[in-house]
Amino acid sequence: MPALLALRLITYLLVCAGVAALALAGLLGPVGGAILALALTGSWVIDQVRNRMPVRPFFAWAIVVAAAAAIAVDLLYLAQSLLDGMVHLLLFLILLRLFRRRSLKDLRDAGFLSFFMLVAASAVTFNVSFLFVFIAFLVLGTWMLILHHIVSESDQAKTGATDLTVGGIGPRSPLFRISLAAAAGTFALAGVMFFIIPRVGQATIHFRPELGRRISGFTDRVELGAYGEIETDQTVVMRVHFPESVTDPERLPNLRWRGLAFDRFDGRIWEAGPRRRGPVRRDLSGAFRLVEPRGTGPIVRQEIFLDPIGADAVFVAPQAARIEMRAGSIVLDDMGSITAAATSARLQYTVDSELEVTPPRGLRDAPWPPVSQPPEAARYLQLPPLPERIPALAREVTAGSRSPYEAALKLNHYLSTRFTYTLVLKQQTKLDPLEEFLFARRSGNCEYFAAAMAVMLRSVGIPARVVGGFQRGDWNPYGAYFMVRMKDAHSWVEAFFDGPGWVSFDPSPRAAAEEAFGGRRTAALYFDALRMRWYRHVINWSLRDQVGVAASMHRGASEWRGSLLGWRDSLRAVPGGWVVAMAVLMLVTAWMLRRHAPGAGRRVAAAAVPRFYLQALRALARRGIRRGSTETAREFSGRVERATPAFAPAVARLTAAYERCRFGEGALSPEEAAALDASLAALRRR
Amino acid sequence: MDSEWWWRPFRPRRTIWPTRDGWWCLFVVIGLGVAAINTGNNLLYLLVSLLLSLIVVSGVLSEQSMRGLRLEADAPEEIYAGAPALFGAVLANSKRWLTSYSVTLELLARGGRTRFIYLPRLEAGRDRLLTWDETLPARGRHRLAGVRLTTRFPFGLFLKAGHVMLDREVLVFPAVRPISPEELLRLVGAGTSAVRRRGRGHDLYNLRAYRAGDDPRLIHWRSSAKVESLLVREMEAETTEDTRVVLSGRGERDAARLEAALSEAASITAHLARAGAGVELTGAGLFVPLGRGPGQARRILTELALYDPRAPEAGAAEFGPGARGWRSLREVRVELD
Repeated sequence: MPALLALRLITYLLVCAGVAALALAGLLGPVGGAILALALTGSWVIDQVRNRMPVRPFFAWAIVVAAAAAIAVDLLYLAQSLLDGMVHLLLFLILLRLFRRRSLKDLRDAGFLSFFMLVAASAVTFNVSFLFVFIAFLVLGTWMLILHHIVSESDQAKTGATDLTVGGIGPRSPLFRISLAAAAGTFALAGVMFFIIPRVGQATIHFRPELGRRISGFTDRVELGAYGEIETDQTVVMRVHFPESVTDPERLPNLRWRGLAFDRFDGRIWEAGPRRRGPVRRDLSGAFRLVEPRGTGPIVRQEIFLDPIGADAVFVAPQAARIEMRAGSIVLDDMGSITAAATSARLQYTVDSELEVTPPRGLRDAPWPPVSQPPEAARYLQLPPLPERIPALAREVTAGSRSPYEAALKLNHYLSTRFTYTLVLKQQTKLDPLEEFLFARRSGNCEYFAAAMAVMLRSVGIPARVVGGFQRGDWNPYGAYFMVRMKDAHSWVEAFFDGPGWVSFDPSPRAAAEEAFGGRRTAALYFDALRMRWYRHVINWSLRDQVGVAASMHRGASEWRGSLLGWRDSLRAVPGGWVVAMAVLMLVTAWMLRRHAPGAGRRVAAAAVPRFYLQALRALARRGIRRGSTETAREFSGRVERATPAFAPAVARLTAAYERCRFGEGALSPEEAAALDASLAALRRR
Repeated sequence: MDSEWWWRPFRPRRTIWPTRDGWWCLFVVIGLGVAAINTGNNLLYLLVSLLLSLIVVSGVLSEQSMRGLRLEADAPEEIYAGAPALFGAVLANSKRWLTSYSVTLELLARGGRTRFIYLPRLEAGRDRLLTWDETLPARGRHRLAGVRLTTRFPFGLFLKAGHVMLDREVLVFPAVRPISPEELLRLVGAGTSAVRRRGRGHDLYNLRAYRAGDDPRLIHWRSSAKVESLLVREMEAETTEDTRVVLSGRGERDAARLEAALSEAASITAHLARAGAGVELTGAGLFVPLGRGPGQARRILTELALYDPRAPEAGAAEFGPGARGWRSLREVRVELD
């Protein structure tokens, strides 16, 4: 393949890699991608026929000016964000280079500009596929740079393509192998540098105010049935890893990921009413201290990797006691909901939670039915105008209970066994949603179950609230973490009891209704584990991780030093051990000195002198005829001829063969080799 | 003691400097680094690491390309003003296994445009002879700008260069032009002492036995047949008269005239020496005694190349009859003024 064509092809592939990065980051939609593909194809075709069909300069400039004006308008008024506008400008510049290609410089510029597509994509994507685009870009970019360098240098020196293609540029050429090795070396080195460059900065600039898609259901206001649309989505949105070894995490009790709590209900919509909110202070270790553990349940540390879902909520296993998060501040309200404004801060955080146990510890005896509640509990007893049969049903279910807790258990059992879970939420009657659920449809999603239980608890005088969050998710054995999908979005109920405080109840029979995780295919789990590692070790690599690695290296070095001292002691014990060690050291030093001694290279160069000529020189030297250091082979031959005519024919033959082998690059035929052997023998004989 | 001696061990073997693309690369690294710090975006850190690694790998590969390359460059022994002189260098790759790629021999020029000789590759253990010509405009001592080995391999981001070689002083002889025998006869003044001598003329000088390396066209077949052994002809030199080149005047008034006269004297000297004649040079403050052969020609050309009409010795009396060592020779007089 001609070098220039190869260079063009590689440049186009490089641009395609950049475009793939943009598409991955959501900066280029399907329509934009199609237009871009057409434009790239057009530029390739135009380049092929440019010489045969010259474009009028006026026409070309008119297109450029029009496109530039459109880009300016887009940048100033139309683009969704500055980043989107810059991406459009970038694509315009690349296409301009490709359409108006006059020299190698244009191809090089297009290749360089493609790199900025990767930069743009890096600002808004966290997808592990970025790694594959990155690797493809690295391999193609390295080859493009080498090829461009060789072609342009040849061009500059007017060497022409003949010399260039001596070694070839195909996939089997040495140059291509060098390019692959360079790409591999660059990748390895970039990996090392990535991990050691200190993460000292503060995230103060954001290219886009929003990252990722926004999901309804995790705001301050939830309408009954709103989760329905996301409860079928299989996308993994959260991964929960236990950095400290937890035995059998799947058996951990009541594992859910609590987000926001809602206290006010109007018959259709749950929302968080007026509440006390305040920033949480950091403790001496830099973590946010939420509450003091009560000592009633196991403390579990979770490392949570959350995809950007457009909600401020910080999801944690209840009851969260402490959070480590890269945020300036977090806010805690009096319902235990935690929020953080910075999107990037919510991408990864570590939480220490005291898990709830069943039955809750410290439950005190309380009268049933409740006689009175403290004033602050009033908001959790608020009820909208309800049909009389709902409180009646609550009283009927809880009849005979000896304590509020037992009443709550009865309600929980009633709902989870007498009703069915469904995502088909068509309204069948003209009743209110809750009444229809309890008395007509008798099936619903988790929100209906949670709302029904909370309302029934409140109607019998037990303070209750609805909580939104995620179910536990599926365990990934390859990465040792829980994969929480969008479909795991969930609602449950928290009820207040004297003693343990707020206790969770999940009346929804959802877990039983759902099939076992359909995506437990090994490849999918492996890929998700890779994604988890990407999040953990690349996207969320931090100064803290660096300090941790440095500390472990320090520990390793200390251990190694200890073993080295042990080795020294054992060497002392062996008679003459030090002498052997010193001898080995000296041998290695001598070898290295010899290798780097001046003239070492010349010895190698001398190897290019044919062996038969060296033998001839040695034979003559034995007879006292030595070649001078500045004497050429021909001069030496002449001197031998004058001094010892008997040697003249043999030396002349050997000299001619030497000149041909060394400078003419001609190989000797078997007959010629035999004749030279005879000449050598003649020199030795005489 | 020479200060260079002290610094040599500490002097880097090669210099490295970013190319225009290299500068862009460095600016982008800095810009992305600032962006990475300010956004805390690890993917930006990854891209910064990529660019930094690319720079390091570029340095390693270019070093690999330059390492083990040995350049031996030399200037021709005789350089004539205004005539292209052929310079040569042997570039050898003394590495055992690895090929050197994309190496350029830069032919530096003082105030002129640097020229390049590009080698796409040089295999391990191989060498290449590189030649180029250079025209030095005027006689006298000249400092050559030199040559150096460079590479931009592999990415064209950095220029790695070896030390400048051949940046030494050379002596440029006056311009020499061909002199026809007729012109020589016109220039010749009085003189005697004609001696027959072997040379490259057209007249027969002698017959002798054939020796290896003789031109077969010189074999005298008829005589060879008679004696049954190969005999070759030896020709007589065209000009056999020893000549004194006399520079008259000092050449202070007209520099152009002086240069033309020195060029004429050099041309006559070269012509006579090539023909086998003995040549002597005399002039104001100049005297090169009679001699013959290429060595004599070089001595005279050196004197002519270095002649300075304003030098104190240029005021000395001309070597003439009565002076010690004076011999009567055929004379060619060249007017400097």
